[in-house]
Amino acid sequence: MRRLLALWKKEWLALARDVHGLAVLFLMPAAFIVIMSLTLSDAFKGDRGPQTEFAVLSPDPTLADRFASSLSGEGFRAVAAPAGETAARESVRNGKPPLALLVPGGFARALAAPPSGTDVPELVLLVDPTLPPMQLLAFQQRALGVALELRVAEMVRRAGGTAGAVPDLKRAATLSVETVGNPGARRPSSVQQNVPAWLIFGMFFVVMPISSLFIVERRDGTLARLVAHGVPFSMLLLGKVGPFFAVNLAQAALMLAAGRVLVPWLGGEALALPARWDLLAAVAACTSFAAIGWGLLVAASARTLEQATVIGGVGNILVAAVGGIMVPRFVMPQAMQTLADFSPMAWALDGFHAVILRQGAAADIAAPCAKLLALAIVLLALALAIHHRRRVLGPAQ
Amino acid sequence: MGTLSIEALSFSYPGRDEAVLDQVTLAMPAGGIFGLLGPNGAGKTTLIALVAGQLRSAAGRIVLGGEPLERARRTRPDFLGIVPQEYAFYPMLSCRENLRFFGGVQGLGGPRLKERIDAVAAFARIEGVLARRAGQLSGGLKRRLNLAIGLLTEPQVLLLDEPTVGVDPQSRAFLLDSIRALARADRVIVYTSHYMEDVQALCDRVAIIDRGRVLVSGTMSEVLQDGAGLLTLRLRAPLPPGLAAEWRSRYALHEDGETRYRLSISAAAEIAPVIDAARAAGCEPLAISYGQRDLEQLFMQLTDRSLRE
Repeated sequence: MRRLLALWKKEWLALARDVHGLAVLFLMPAAFIVIMSLTLSDAFKGDRGPQTEFAVLSPDPTLADRFASSLSGEGFRAVAAPAGETAARESVRNGKPPLALLVPGGFARALAAPPSGTDVPELVLLVDPTLPPMQLLAFQQRALGVALELRVAEMVRRAGGTAGAVPDLKRAATLSVETVGNPGARRPSSVQQNVPAWLIFGMFFVVMPISSLFIVERRDGTLARLVAHGVPFSMLLLGKVGPFFAVNLAQAALMLAAGRVLVPWLGGEALALPARWDLLAAVAACTSFAAIGWGLLVAASARTLEQATVIGGVGNILVAAVGGIMVPRFVMPQAMQTLADFSPMAWALDGFHAVILRQGAAADIAAPCAKLLALAIVLLALALAIHHRRRVLGPAQ
Repeated sequence: MGTLSIEALSFSYPGRDEAVLDQVTLAMPAGGIFGLLGPNGAGKTTLIALVAGQLRSAAGRIVLGGEPLERARRTRPDFLGIVPQEYAFYPMLSCRENLRFFGGVQGLGGPRLKERIDAVAAFARIEGVLARRAGQLSGGLKRRLNLAIGLLTEPQVLLLDEPTVGVDPQSRAFLLDSIRALARADRVIVYTSHYMEDVQALCDRVAIIDRGRVLVSGTMSEVLQDGAGLLTLRLRAPLPPGLAAEWRSRYALHEDGETRYRLSISAAAEIAPVIDAARAAGCEPLAISYGQRDLEQLFMQLTDRSLRE
């Protein structure tokens, strides 16, 4: 234990004096959060994504089909409706589909009644909190448009094909929007969307200081010296896990604080914090283990600092791009969305979204956390295997 | 504590056919300083790495006082100290932090660690720079810190791999004196260097290896003994061509440089006429040795003069 404590302390001191490494770890993701939140804030109010799925639930199958066919197209696609409202809420909560329109029984009759001006039939739209606001707005307008279309058709039918009293076409129906799972049923802001993504991106950048410190140790002979002193390689790796785990958690705290304080101070919306801090910590911890495992693998396999920079840095950016960190997954083509399922950053993003946006329970983060932990174990095992295969600790040998 | 014995040690790197070490057998007794010499690529660093436990899977045995070295490593991980040729410490840490860290990973702690840090700092004369970052030290101070780290646990086996490379003459002299002072009855010291005069002055036993094989091994006086009656002269001026031609035919003259010559003399009685002839030619002898080579001559003779990778 004394050895491990000595290793941890050394790692702390080395990291604390690596100004550039700290800047990469803390300033870069904070800057991304601020910049992306502010620059995308308008986009998130008016964006539209391709092929967003929705379901229509109604006791009247004909009416449901009518809504589904009228709402489909131009970026929206109807899917089979869940068995009932409870199932629909659960489905939307998981984002599959992100939209469910509840058409109440008697809606057709209400449309046929003479317009009263204030008493209009109500539709309910269940929404996944991760859905961009622009898509929601578009869907809302389309749903109201379909309702209006139905009412006008009914009026024309009742008037025997002749013009009757002119209805208030703008108030054919009301549509109330309910964001499932989000605190206060509020729509997530751009900062809510951006903090998890850039936090994950920043956490995975521990690959840079881990690998560079390790390669410098190998190059300078300190690693060989430690091995000569009987320090096992596995303990050397463990010596890196503790400090960098703490660094990742500090990153998480700082990024949340940036979203909570810095972004509103600069004119953006404040981050709404989740109710379940324990789940947030669990997702952050699992993400950290995966990131550190990745760092250790790069450290063990790269022979030079340049190799580590390329493998670690470029690898991070690729995994981030594929994993929906830089571009939301829903705007990707289907093939890319399938590929995103293999990105660890996408798993981490699922976990953070489940906690921060959907106010999920432990069961909601179990799958992403399990994937991240399994990946961490595999990466650590690979790092040990590579070291064992080489059995050479320095370039001099 | 007895001898560090290397018995028929062979080693090849994975994926390479040629053996870096081929049936190397050496005995390095405690109490003195053992010089390990060889040109670049001879296998010295590999041998040191095997003794240090940095490489494994070698054929043969390494035994310390009858105990297999691997067992000693498991039971007493602090028995071995190493001073590599690299500055093997953390430049961003202070000297004291480096000493604390390397002491800590070797199991030292509390008052014992403090006591050892004070002792090695005093020995290496770095007490005045303990608070300074190691990366900001001069080359000489870095070498002294490197040495101090290797001495933290008072190791029974001390491996010194080019510990004086790249330092000024004063620091080098200090380091050599310090290393000389480290020799004691219960300690094996293995010293490698490319500075032949350092090795000749410091070590009481020496081995020269090349291409993974031991070329010569023994006490310094044994290996430097020259049975061929070699007379070595260093003269004030180069020999005139006529005298050089005469000596070449009579004494198999070999020129090591402009004013350094080796002659094969069959009888000691011939030495005086040779020296007289040199003086008469205006080439006053500055240094004369007979019957013994210096280490550099032996090294060059055994390893040939071809350039290495």
